Amino acid sequence: MSLAVAVLRRLAGMAVTLLVTSFLVFSSLYLAPGDPVSFLVRGRSPSPAELAAIRRQFGFDQPFPVRYWHWLDAVLHGDFGRSYLFHESVGAVISSRLPASLLLVGVSTVLIAVVGIGAGALGALRRGTRTDKTVLLLMTVGAAVPSFAAAIVLRSVFGVRLGWFPTIGNGTGFVDQLHHVAMPAVALSVTFMALVTRVSRTAMLDELGREHVEVALSRGTGRWSVLRRHVFRNALGPIVTVSGLLVSGMLVSTAIVETAFGMSGIGSLLVQCVDELDFQVVQALVLLVVAVFVVVNTLVDLLYPLIDPRVAAGGGAR
Amino acid sequence: MSTPTSSTPRRTAPRRTARTGSARRTLLAVSSRSAVSSRSAVSALAALSALALTLTACSGTAHPGGAGGASGTGAAYRLTARTPASAGGLDSFTWSLFAEPTSIDYAYSFDYPPNTVLANVCESLLRWNPDLTTSPGLASAVASPTPTTWVYTIRGGVHFHDGTVLTADDVVASLRRNLDPNVGSDWAYPYRNVKSVDKTGPMQVTVTLNTPDSTFNKYMAASPGTVESAATLRSDGKDYGNPSKGVNCTGPFAFSSWTPGQSLVLTRFDGYWDPSLRARSKQVKFVFLSDATARVNAFRTGEVDGGWMVPPDSYAQLASSSAGRLYYGQNTTVADEVVGNLKGVLGSADVRRALLMAIDRKGIIKAGVAGVGDVADSLVTRNNWNGSLSGGSLDAVLKALPAYPYDPPKARRLAAKAGVAGQKVVIATSPLDSQTTIITQAVAQAATAIGLKPEIDTISSDKYTALFTDPAARKGVDLFLTFWYTSITDPLDMYGSLRTGAFSNYGNWSNPQFDAAVNQAVGSADPAARAAAAAKAQQIAMDQLPWLPLYTEPVSVFLGKRITGVQPSIDYLYYPWAAEIGAQGSGSQGTGAQG
Repeated sequence: MSLAVAVLRRLAGMAVTLLVTSFLVFSSLYLAPGDPVSFLVRGRSPSPAELAAIRRQFGFDQPFPVRYWHWLDAVLHGDFGRSYLFHESVGAVISSRLPASLLLVGVSTVLIAVVGIGAGALGALRRGTRTDKTVLLLMTVGAAVPSFAAAIVLRSVFGVRLGWFPTIGNGTGFVDQLHHVAMPAVALSVTFMALVTRVSRTAMLDELGREHVEVALSRGTGRWSVLRRHVFRNALGPIVTVSGLLVSGMLVSTAIVETAFGMSGIGSLLVQCVDELDFQVVQALVLLVVAVFVVVNTLVDLLYPLIDPRVAAGGGAR
Repeated sequence: MSTPTSSTPRRTAPRRTARTGSARRTLLAVSSRSAVSSRSAVSALAALSALALTLTACSGTAHPGGAGGASGTGAAYRLTARTPASAGGLDSFTWSLFAEPTSIDYAYSFDYPPNTVLANVCESLLRWNPDLTTSPGLASAVASPTPTTWVYTIRGGVHFHDGTVLTADDVVASLRRNLDPNVGSDWAYPYRNVKSVDKTGPMQVTVTLNTPDSTFNKYMAASPGTVESAATLRSDGKDYGNPSKGVNCTGPFAFSSWTPGQSLVLTRFDGYWDPSLRARSKQVKFVFLSDATARVNAFRTGEVDGGWMVPPDSYAQLASSSAGRLYYGQNTTVADEVVGNLKGVLGSADVRRALLMAIDRKGIIKAGVAGVGDVADSLVTRNNWNGSLSGGSLDAVLKALPAYPYDPPKARRLAAKAGVAGQKVVIATSPLDSQTTIITQAVAQAATAIGLKPEIDTISSDKYTALFTDPAARKGVDLFLTFWYTSITDPLDMYGSLRTGAFSNYGNWSNPQFDAAVNQAVGSADPAARAAAAAKAQQIAMDQLPWLPLYTEPVSVFLGKRITGVQPSIDYLYYPWAAEIGAQGSGSQGTGAQG
């Protein structure tokens, strides 16, 4: 019962967040410098009558609240308008580019989780050894490498010099797409991997240092079972929280990597549409990113009780 | 992008710079358009020139260094009229664009990416050839019975890609779109004097002008003269030219598919009417690579077979690459510093003259474009006069122009007389590419040299593009860079846009004698009188310097080792250049071609 209420409250919170966001996004774009009409006329010198016609056509002549209301109403019906840059519906523009970004973020997430948590665990379990020091070193370096720098190095070494990976494009077919997305995903996830490694290592060291773990280990209970039941499980909370934030943040960080590898996704689309003041697309994309962010974080919150029953019980976990 | 009015400019590389159309590429163009695109390395300088020399074997013409040209810059690049003919067809080749077209509707094709594609798919009434002459296209004959009428005889037996036959109705529907405010064509400017477009016979169309306009017919060889099926225009409506609908024209290649964000594929049209330009290869795949380095890498790995507008800072790298060859061809582009504010410190023509004299233009060419360019003696290239002035008289016209050789001491004295010492001059720039950065620095140095206080205003690429469309964005900006090309072989394409009140007259320059000369040239039916008036307009512009011409540069094209056959020239924006590309070397790879 209390779980259901919690879920409902979370969902309601999500809806309110999205609504507030939609208003902020909509209004901030109209407050942004630059007149979209000047882009629409594309260098022609329209007569005042023509200008008025254009303003009417795109609804720029209506008062702000009316414009917002019309837009929100359409959005709620699944209509994000028509991109005036691409002469297509915003839905078509975004849906043609979304799969590439989702694959990129998906593969990056897997890399971050596997490498980040794995390396963190390794470091924690081998604390103070050469292995641990190596992990710490790599982590420090990784955290300092911006994705564009990683992209340049990966591209010239593994793409141009060695020829192992394609340097451009999205690929076709699942295997080919994975081949294409491998280097961009590594470039995108280096920094995040390092962060997750750091968090994982610290969280696990915390757990390893707890009394009940030390007791269990000293009693000779199976090492793996202790690690799994007490250490991993309890350390997972902070790791999942951080990973959730990173993953949703990644969606907007893709632009640089996508551009560097000639991939088409929503990151590069967002940059282009901001450049060209294609408001309809920017609004939809920002809303989408915020929605993903909110949803992922809600999921993380909802996952918590499953990871750590003490949370569900209302206990003072953690 | 936008280009305003005139002809063709577009922005190029920055969003590559916008090179705008006929005009302006503002900056982008060259490298890629996006902000992100940079031509990276600045330090360039490289000793390219020598390499470039060895490059172009075939029908290369040495670049005319004369007339204010390369003399002394040490530039030794050559133009190639035609790369070796292909040995056969290919199943497919891949071509890079520095940005994805936002539409391939000809009415919105005012930038390098869409025009590079469309040139192979859609045809115009006339054809703009690689040597920058004009010849019949979908109109088999043109007549001008009066100065205000142009009568086009439509070619018979031409099929659209869907198999239907071209008629006068298609021509009327296509041309009229440029007049329709609801369409909002980017090409409204060439149509500004058009009163009506009518069918005057089953295969005849007559365009009636309000006043004589000698440039109108020339634009019929570019996008403004594009002919699309009237039925397709009707049925596709607002979706015409977008990724789901594409286009249905008459060119040697037909639109096949467009995967947004990734690629656009054209396939050979077997029903093409002109045997001399039937496509040799079965398919061209265009990929969109906004990052200049990504583009160059793709050339080197062979993932992409070729591309126009190679970033200048990779000239050296590509010239020595075993992956293919770099060629240069005829261009109509001039890099200019636009005087955006004539009310400020640059309001005096003497100060503008002093500034130009203080700019080390040869140094810019050397550092910014690896020596592949020439100091500009006017706002148009020499070949813009092809067909209107013969070689000898052109030399005389150019020689009579005021020259502004690099002379900082003299420039300083001139500026001192104008009494502007210590005043601020704002130079807008954007981190688009190394070339832009180098030019901006050189201009700032020149300003310092004549006693001004330069202030470099670095703005984002989108805001930079707005300089060309939005007067509010130009507020407080004294100078900004553009790469202006013309879409027709005519200096009036440029000078027309400097008339009082013209959209591209960004500094609101006004000179009654100049306006009168341009109007006389545009309205004159007699070629000799027209050329004389145009030359007079040019003389005034170069004396008054509403814009400061910096340098001209050739068109560049990279061809990977699989392909050959293209004729390097700026006409690639409107001429079916891809049709001539086929396999290199002995024996054909792939099938296809008809020899």
